[in-house]
Amino acid sequence: MNIEHFLTNANPSWMRNEDDSDIVISTRIRLARNIARTRFPNSFTEEEAQGIEDELMNALFSHEKNPYHFSHFPIKDLPQLQRQILVEKHLISPNLANRKKIGSVFLTEDESFSIMVNEEDHIRIQCLACGMHIEDAFEKARKIDRYLSQHITYAYQERFGYLTSCPTNVGTGLRASVMLHLPALTFTKQMNALIQMMTRLGMVVRGIYGEGSENLGSVYQISNQITLGKSELDILQELRDVVEQVIKKEQSARKALLIRAPSTLEDRLSRSLGTLKYAKILSSEEAASCLSNIRLGVSLGLLEPISQSRLNECMLLIQPGFIQQYVGTTLQPAERDMYRAKLLQDKLRQQDESFNNGEKGEDSI
Amino acid sequence: MICGHCKQRPANVTVTQIQNEQKVERHYCEICAAQFHPFQFEASNEPVSIHQFISNWLNFLPASTTKEIKQATEKKTTNCPTCGLTYRQFLKQGKFGCENCYETFSGQLPQLLERIQAGTKHVGFKEQTISIEKIKYQIETLREQLQRAILAEHFEDAAKFRDEIRLLESKVNLGGEEQS
Repeated sequence: MNIEHFLTNANPSWMRNEDDSDIVISTRIRLARNIARTRFPNSFTEEEAQGIEDELMNALFSHEKNPYHFSHFPIKDLPQLQRQILVEKHLISPNLANRKKIGSVFLTEDESFSIMVNEEDHIRIQCLACGMHIEDAFEKARKIDRYLSQHITYAYQERFGYLTSCPTNVGTGLRASVMLHLPALTFTKQMNALIQMMTRLGMVVRGIYGEGSENLGSVYQISNQITLGKSELDILQELRDVVEQVIKKEQSARKALLIRAPSTLEDRLSRSLGTLKYAKILSSEEAASCLSNIRLGVSLGLLEPISQSRLNECMLLIQPGFIQQYVGTTLQPAERDMYRAKLLQDKLRQQDESFNNGEKGEDSI
Repeated sequence: MICGHCKQRPANVTVTQIQNEQKVERHYCEICAAQFHPFQFEASNEPVSIHQFISNWLNFLPASTTKEIKQATEKKTTNCPTCGLTYRQFLKQGKFGCENCYETFSGQLPQLLERIQAGTKHVGFKEQTISIEKIKYQIETLREQLQRAILAEHFEDAAKFRDEIRLLESKVNLGGEEQS
């Protein structure tokens, strides 16, 4: 599969939201693994790094019974903008994108699986799924893990489990996260207290667009912090419990907003739609916030229906890499703000057209 | 840009202050910024980065404990035989150089892991230590024993062999996996 396929597709399967869930956006599972008797990426030589690449290529491409059809992309072959788009799509980490040493990524056509090679650890298996499918995504990631372990000997010890570069990943090597849209909890300023509570429960909360983006578009990623001393199934169950609690709180905050300030809420959400439809300059913050309001408005039935998939696509498209790809050239931040506004208007117009044409399939609720 | 205070870590927090009616911007890393404005940083952006954790730990512990740790790490200059990492270097970078580091620093690890993890012992899935091929060979052998037991009408033994075969077959289906 050509890299263009992954760069131009702004609607990957894991963001299509077939469940049409209006709070949970997606689930991500990551397993960190290392190859036995080989130094970790922060201390290995280029030769050792190449050896790991070869071992993975061999495991994923040379065996007849291989059930996976991965495409392989060495990071050094990708221009900066292409790397950035893969980061914005959560297919590779910023760490791998900026890596000076040898590193690569294996991707499946539908983008639900990616295997990063020579990032912080030799192997990072990732499975992305739309909606809340924690156990299912884990099982899928674990299947690749089992397949790889038949061809590769992992660095593993009875006492500490899977050995990783950083002791924050040792043991299960499992990081499970759920991406949630929590506008009502953000409006009602309950998020700070909730984040503190979740931290005490061993969960980490981050924004969708990475570090320091906690409030951007009211989208939060909740993931487990603990990887050692708990079994995989307990980790997943605890994450599920916390997420379910948060969903309940968001639902009741939405109800409270509707009861207490319906016209203020409707005004605010409608204004956001107006901004997206008519603004000529949009910063990523404003675009994210307007998209968040529209998502809430649609979900509460206060705005005309727009599909969750289309909104998810817009959330990806407002990021700098995507905008530059859309325009086909590198842009200064101020130019990006102009094109961001144009791009969102194009997308909303497409939505309106498909809605007016009665195409209520993929594009409308 | 590097942090204006520790001059080591990358600066990712901008603090704007008004001094003599002039706006002054200072750039700090999260750790230094958290020390100046702790109330703003209760919720960490990152899943506890180990070097952040260690730096905070060393900075906020009582002087006597910090001294003990320093003495211990200075005295213990053991290098990992595989990658050459010392414990002090590990504390600085927060990452191990190879799998052997876990063995080399096994003395210091429990106290560190107790603080960042739920325990010091892995209780999750076990990596298959016996290859599938080996398990398949065991199954073959057990099948032969089962046949012999049936022919000899040793049904109790036969039932035992049958159960063992079932267990091993399920292991093969799961890729040799078992959960503790």
